[in-house]
Amino acid sequence: MRNAVYLLGIVVLILAVYAYDVTVKQRSLERAVHANYTNELTNASEKLSLLHSSISKSMLFKDEKALHRELDTIWRVSNDMRNSVSRLPLHQDVANDWMRYLGRIGDEAKRSAASKDTSEWRKKMEAVNGNLHALTEEWTVATANYFQQDGDFRKWSKITSDEVGDSSFAKVSADLKSFNETDFPLTASESDYQKKRELQHLMDEPLTKAQALERLKTVFPLISDATMTVTKSRDDAPYPFYHIQFVRGSRIGYADITEKGGHILSFLLERPMKNTALSHEEIVQAAEKAMADAGFKDTVITEMRENHIAWHFVFTRKVDDALVYPDSIQVKIAKDSGEVLGINAMEYIQKETIKEQELNPIDWSAFFGEGVVIEDEKKIYTENDAYELRLCYEVIARLPNKQYETFRVVVDATTHEVIQIDTLS
Amino acid sequence: MRKKLFIVFLLSMLFLQPQQSDAFSAQIIQRGAFGDDVIELQARLQYLGYYHGKIDGKFGYGTYWALREFQQAYGLSVDGIAGNTTKKKLVAQSDYNESFVKEQIAKGSQFTHYGGMPLEHQVKGGGTSASSGKNSSNSGKNNSSSGSMQLPANYTERDLQLMANAVFGEARGEPYEGQVAVAAVILNRLESPDFPNTISDIIFQPLAFTAVADGQIWLTPNERAKQAVLDAMNGWDPTENALYYFNPKTATSKWIWSRPQIKQIGQHIFCY
Repeated sequence: MRNAVYLLGIVVLILAVYAYDVTVKQRSLERAVHANYTNELTNASEKLSLLHSSISKSMLFKDEKALHRELDTIWRVSNDMRNSVSRLPLHQDVANDWMRYLGRIGDEAKRSAASKDTSEWRKKMEAVNGNLHALTEEWTVATANYFQQDGDFRKWSKITSDEVGDSSFAKVSADLKSFNETDFPLTASESDYQKKRELQHLMDEPLTKAQALERLKTVFPLISDATMTVTKSRDDAPYPFYHIQFVRGSRIGYADITEKGGHILSFLLERPMKNTALSHEEIVQAAEKAMADAGFKDTVITEMRENHIAWHFVFTRKVDDALVYPDSIQVKIAKDSGEVLGINAMEYIQKETIKEQELNPIDWSAFFGEGVVIEDEKKIYTENDAYELRLCYEVIARLPNKQYETFRVVVDATTHEVIQIDTLS
Repeated sequence: MRKKLFIVFLLSMLFLQPQQSDAFSAQIIQRGAFGDDVIELQARLQYLGYYHGKIDGKFGYGTYWALREFQQAYGLSVDGIAGNTTKKKLVAQSDYNESFVKEQIAKGSQFTHYGGMPLEHQVKGGGTSASSGKNSSNSGKNNSSSGSMQLPANYTERDLQLMANAVFGEARGEPYEGQVAVAAVILNRLESPDFPNTISDIIFQPLAFTAVADGQIWLTPNERAKQAVLDAMNGWDPTENALYYFNPKTATSKWIWSRPQIKQIGQHIFCY
């Protein structure tokens, strides 16, 4: 009995020491996370004040240099605040609305600095300035609880369990939603881009489930005898489509086909791979045949990458002698047999409308630095930051160094503005 | 006499064997290729001082330019493609220590393969092993670079690794389509103005992913999760532009149920 009590005492003591150790470690972690959150909240609050004051200051000037200085600060501070907001455990809705609003302010500052249209900036910022003032006050009220310096971590963890309507951020959330809509309504190009993403221009006749299945079997005869399950997209989906899941032996995959017109949005299958490989030429032929069989006949290969089990290709629509990058299709081909493992034609379904655009020649020797080697120059269509389709020059340029650093530079064919620079490995 | 003739015949057959058997495979190697043939190509080009980049089995622009320079220097047709003539010339002009190169790649070491310099002096060490050691096929030979992959421009190996961790932590029990879908949601967020600007910030945004909260993101992802991420990076999006997903059996947030739904894949409903 005595021994049992003695043993029990030791066990209780060990458990007590263990529990104490765990509690200490947990408290220490909580303190570290609490400090981090408080730091990010302080940063966000300070950046908000700075952003508000910079926008006010920007409205003082007509002078280009003075205004540019403020626009640069606004772009930088809005970006910093965006980062701080993204690191706070805010409700997803509040964080999203904050990031959108701050991003739009930063984009507007960048755009105004590039376009030098100060009147448009002043016009927009009058409303934003007033709304930021209101938001600053609401934010101060909403976050006051977190600055009480009581080290109470439960305040932060409570955010996860509360709905936004029950939290102190309810008013901030409502204001942000309203200001996002009123201060930055969608531009015509953004609206067009949205419509394209939502396939709103598809005017084909709707297909039944059976017709959609037939369409899939025609394009991919290898799975025509597969067991298929068809479901329709949810009622809230931006465009109606059929979701077909199939199994044929060891092949398992899916295809999404639009209800309107039966266009293949995407197709992907998974199967075990053999340890053999066809030649590169055979793989390219298989990819080209797959495109022709699927009815995509106005495209050319613009990218290809080999990996362990498959090659990934990008085919892009060619109009006259220019590549229309937003109308691209991705194809995945098995290395062991040349079988089509995937097609993604989401972007291609609604072809871009090509508008007339002036093509001004560029003197590349004056455009690029000394010694830069130009390997290739193409005409392409691509979207700029404002979602406008632009005719551009695409140049593959190399620095004159031992590492052969190579870049893809996209330059607007009319304005000669640099739209994109990618490092190519 | 007959015996002698037979030996002479055997010896001549031995010498007449094409050199390809102990060098490159029969494949033509060009930009976009990946694997052991490219490793050998890079190592041989580096041996001759034309290639100064990393020997990683990825035929990118660095290898392309180096190959062109070699072709120019040896009076070959300058096309940046390693066909039979180019490969034979390379084999004749250079040495390739396959076991050394593969060992260093497997170890994840920083190393070079220049000619005229002891190989043991060309290992700078460092690096954790990136290769899983799994063999897969390339150009008819075993592939030693299975730890890495060729990614579209603007994505890095770090992005791939982090996303594979997230996909494995969030959806390892889901069908392949469901795993590609989770990766696609991360990439859709990258394009959305409502979310942070980097893959790391998106994954580690507080409260964004349960795998981060419960630590499952730190499990070692399998090849399937990596393939799913690779397909998503190459453009596949089974979610049709979703920004969120949730498990209807476990979701407690009223807000997530208010999001417009697109489709269900496995246990996850995808919405925007």
